[in-house]
Amino acid sequence: MAASTPITTKATPGSANRRLRWIDMNNTRTFATTLTLPAQLVLLLIMIFPLLAVVYISMTSWSPTQGGDWTQAYKFWDWGRNYVEVFTDPFFWQALGRTFLIVGIAVPLEFLLGLGLAFLFLEDFRGKRIFYALMLIPMMIVPAVAGYMFWMMFQSNGPINAVISAIIGQPFTLAWLSSEAPATVAVIIAEVWQWTPLMFLIMASGLVGLPEDQMRAATMLGASGWQKFRYLMLPMLKPIIIIALVIRGMEAVKIFDSIFLMTAGGPARATESLSIYMYKVAFQQVRWSFAAAAAMTVLVIMTIIASYALRPLQAPQREAQAAMRQAAETGAAGSD
Amino acid sequence: MASIKLDKLRKQFKEVLAVEGLNLDIEDGMFVAFLGPSGCGKTTTMNMIAGLEQPTSGDLYFDGKRMNDVPAGKRGVGFVFQNYAIFTHMTVYENVGFGLKVRGCPEVEMKREVGKIAELLELTPMLDWNAGKLSINDMQKVALGRSMITNPGIFLLDEPFSNLDASFRAYMRGELKRIQREIKQTMIYVTHDQVEAMSMADRIAVMYCGQLYQWGSPDDVYNRPVNAFVARFIGSPNMNFIECAYEVENGQGFLQQRKGGLRVPVDAKRRRLLEDRTGPNNLILGIRPEHMKVYQQPEPNALWQGTAYALEPLGPLTIAHTEVGGDRVQVKASGGYRTRPGDPQWVALDLEYIHIFDGETKLVIR
Repeated sequence: MAASTPITTKATPGSANRRLRWIDMNNTRTFATTLTLPAQLVLLLIMIFPLLAVVYISMTSWSPTQGGDWTQAYKFWDWGRNYVEVFTDPFFWQALGRTFLIVGIAVPLEFLLGLGLAFLFLEDFRGKRIFYALMLIPMMIVPAVAGYMFWMMFQSNGPINAVISAIIGQPFTLAWLSSEAPATVAVIIAEVWQWTPLMFLIMASGLVGLPEDQMRAATMLGASGWQKFRYLMLPMLKPIIIIALVIRGMEAVKIFDSIFLMTAGGPARATESLSIYMYKVAFQQVRWSFAAAAAMTVLVIMTIIASYALRPLQAPQREAQAAMRQAAETGAAGSD
Repeated sequence: MASIKLDKLRKQFKEVLAVEGLNLDIEDGMFVAFLGPSGCGKTTTMNMIAGLEQPTSGDLYFDGKRMNDVPAGKRGVGFVFQNYAIFTHMTVYENVGFGLKVRGCPEVEMKREVGKIAELLELTPMLDWNAGKLSINDMQKVALGRSMITNPGIFLLDEPFSNLDASFRAYMRGELKRIQREIKQTMIYVTHDQVEAMSMADRIAVMYCGQLYQWGSPDDVYNRPVNAFVARFIGSPNMNFIECAYEVENGQGFLQQRKGGLRVPVDAKRRRLLEDRTGPNNLILGIRPEHMKVYQQPEPNALWQGTAYALEPLGPLTIAHTEVGGDRVQVKASGGYRTRPGDPQWVALDLEYIHIFDGETKLVIR
């Protein structure tokens, strides 16, 4: 932090001036840094520290069963052999693929359903507010409870099979959760049920915020409903859609609770997601350092994917930042 | 090109009656202004013509064809919104060409048409620009061009110049008149600015509280207002109103001011009208500031003596606020006219141009 010069401190009275000499209040950057310092320290503790701890453990073959706590892990330093094992473990890659399959089906479904429902809620109808509140309930249910609910519903003598039996007119007794493909379908259904409301909420607020006159202008120019959606709504909603998909995608990759309660990753490994895989490695096989390496690998993969997914948003953001900087500079120049 | 006919058009929003039984015949190629204060129903009327609002009752015809059930985009109506409603995520070219694109027009033809419009509106150098970054003035042009491209027979403009700076507004007034002459389309122009309406329109519809008060040429609404509202709304500064009563003394009829007893003689024709009417002797004398003269010395034709109250020097002319017999009137004087508050003043009226309104109904007596 630069010490203040007499010129930059001319506005402050003498005594306060001396006490605050180490903060150059006229330097925006320094001032901002000073104000956010406590928050940055907290962030450092709760985010950076655990991350570094995981990196540290992942570079050793330490395990709590080998005696000594994690600070002693350096005694088992093995230069990242865990990473080689992660990369050569077929179960890791299978879990990754399975997770991406679940996310790749569930999140687009949530998005399409959420968007469709949001369109329905643009119109006025009786009981709209009640339905709006009802729509949000799944999102507010604890995921473990939702998992338990779906576990019960998907039993071979459960309500879902009962409904299907009633529709097709003959007994239907599929053992959803103990057959490979149906178990994955069940997991996806539970996921979609729980998180469509979030997509609905985001899309509904996005649609309400669209400029009405532009829609009317398009109507006057002869655009059909589909054309208005395609040429106006979609491009205008694009930033919101990208953010919603990225947030949901990142969240869904961590899917654990519902799978753990419905199938515990089974049958065999048919629904073993990354989180379930890591849970098993860490707490059933007690391979903590290996689990740490797997976690780091997932983090790197997700960071790469997320930064690519967010790329379309960054150009306007950079422009906005440049504009703000320019405005700040002209503002500062004006006040001098 | 198309003619428009409104037949008892009515629009009710829940409790508010926005437009009340509007009848109007707009000829093909006419330039019409809907003039009135905010909330008078002019925008609602426009939206009903465009198809953005459905009338509660009544019919709408274009070229004799009933249009009530034709959807907004299919009526052949171009619409320029007050805030322009530019598609900010598109380029100028995409904005102007939008109407053709949604009709499935081939790219080559679209390029040619957009090029023509851009030429007409001097937008050619900006075609590749992002429309969201244009100045207000250029957005206005893009909005115009965008609605012109499909060649609509009817053009609706909702207060299109209210956001522009004064000099550009004056320029665009001239431009719009030129464009209307070139494309010869029926244009309806909504405004609350009487200067805009007077200077551009062939016909003016003066509206107030959902009713059509007067439908006529600019000359009509200025010289022959049907009621005190129209008389006051048209012209700047406003027409002066003085409450008075009709009296006869020594065989001479005159209007006598209620507050101060000042008198204005009336000619034989007006006298006949006033003597024929029944009802309370409660009248309003209306006279425009430009039909009065103010003097600092007594003049033979200056009927009234008053006191200077305030002065608005505007450069080419001066508005002299004068108190005559308890009523305050504004008089247009020459640019160099100067006086101090409290100075005596003499006011002459051009009796040819007085208007007499019924004090109860506010309707003109003519």
